[in-house]
Amino acid sequence: MRLLLVFAKIGAVVFGGGFVMIPFIQREVVQHYGWLTQQQFVDAIALGQITPGPILISATFVGYKVQGMAGAVVATLAVFLPSFLMTVVAARHLPRLRRNPRAAGFLRGVLPAVVAMLVMAALTIGRATLWFDWRLLLLACAALALLVRWKVDAVYVVIGAGLAGFLLEH
Amino acid sequence: MSRHEDEPDAAAAMARRQPVRLRSLAGVMLKVGATGFGMGMVGVLQQEAVTRRAWLRQEEFADGLALANLLPGPIAVDAAVYVGYKLRGWAGATVCLLALLIPAFAIMLGLSIAYLRYGQVPQLHGVFRGLNAAVVALVLAVAYRVGKSTLKSAPQVALAAMALGAALLHADPMTLVLACGVIGALLLIPRPKVTP
Repeated sequence: MRLLLVFAKIGAVVFGGGFVMIPFIQREVVQHYGWLTQQQFVDAIALGQITPGPILISATFVGYKVQGMAGAVVATLAVFLPSFLMTVVAARHLPRLRRNPRAAGFLRGVLPAVVAMLVMAALTIGRATLWFDWRLLLLACAALALLVRWKVDAVYVVIGAGLAGFLLEH
Repeated sequence: MSRHEDEPDAAAAMARRQPVRLRSLAGVMLKVGATGFGMGMVGVLQQEAVTRRAWLRQEEFADGLALANLLPGPIAVDAAVYVGYKLRGWAGATVCLLALLIPAFAIMLGLSIAYLRYGQVPQLHGVFRGLNAAVVALVLAVAYRVGKSTLKSAPQVALAAMALGAALLHADPMTLVLACGVIGALLLIPRPKVTP
């Protein structure tokens, strides 16, 4: 039940795509409820990345960890429910909504906050591991360059980084 | 699964507007969910719903994308729900959401079970440390992309800086995002353009 509420809440505020969920899930699931360790949380996001479909599917992992199969179903549905309802309702009022300057203003305010949240999420995840290992820091920089400068598909970057990590360890 | 119906002319198909069967809707969404990664799903969805099957006109689809941008939730999921609702109402929207999620859910469930059972194997330690680095890079890349398209004016940069400051002081992210939205709705209303 708590799983349902937490994930519905997260699903209601992930403006701007799945990655925005990271700080929210971290706050609720790792810091507040302690359902996952920081490491498991980061791994869950990496797994969500190599799975086809939305990144938000990482919710399945959290749900499974907390309550097994039923938890996985509940968390997954809960996280997509708010935007599902909003989309259907808004689809009827689309022309009016598009012309509404308040809605545009709201989004103009939300997106800078989203950028800040993302930077914060990267800092938190990075602080836990990368800080202590310059090779991983280098790997992260290389991955960032590939993503931003050469627009390499995220799936390949994640798989490549996993391989690189494996080789570094041996 | 229904293959591409032999419509000689997409416009003629639109004019007739036969209701799309829920089964074909589900088939297409299963495909989108199984072959698209993250934002890549939008591309697959567009190809299937607009280009191949002519279920929607390009402008209608673009409207759906604009809507998806405005609402919370992954853009591809919102867009798929929009397509389903446009074609078959509530039933279509529900079928689209579930079909889209089933492949990802099944794979993620499998990975979760494997991870919780074998994740502690020492040989895999390095892999996860590498993945860790990739996730940091991914998040920063998204921040860069969203930032480039939104931090265009001084007030927005200031808002982002303030939000980051508050986040460093452990403010609740949800409150922060909604507060910034309210500030935007009050202060950042776009000036009316000649062509809306």
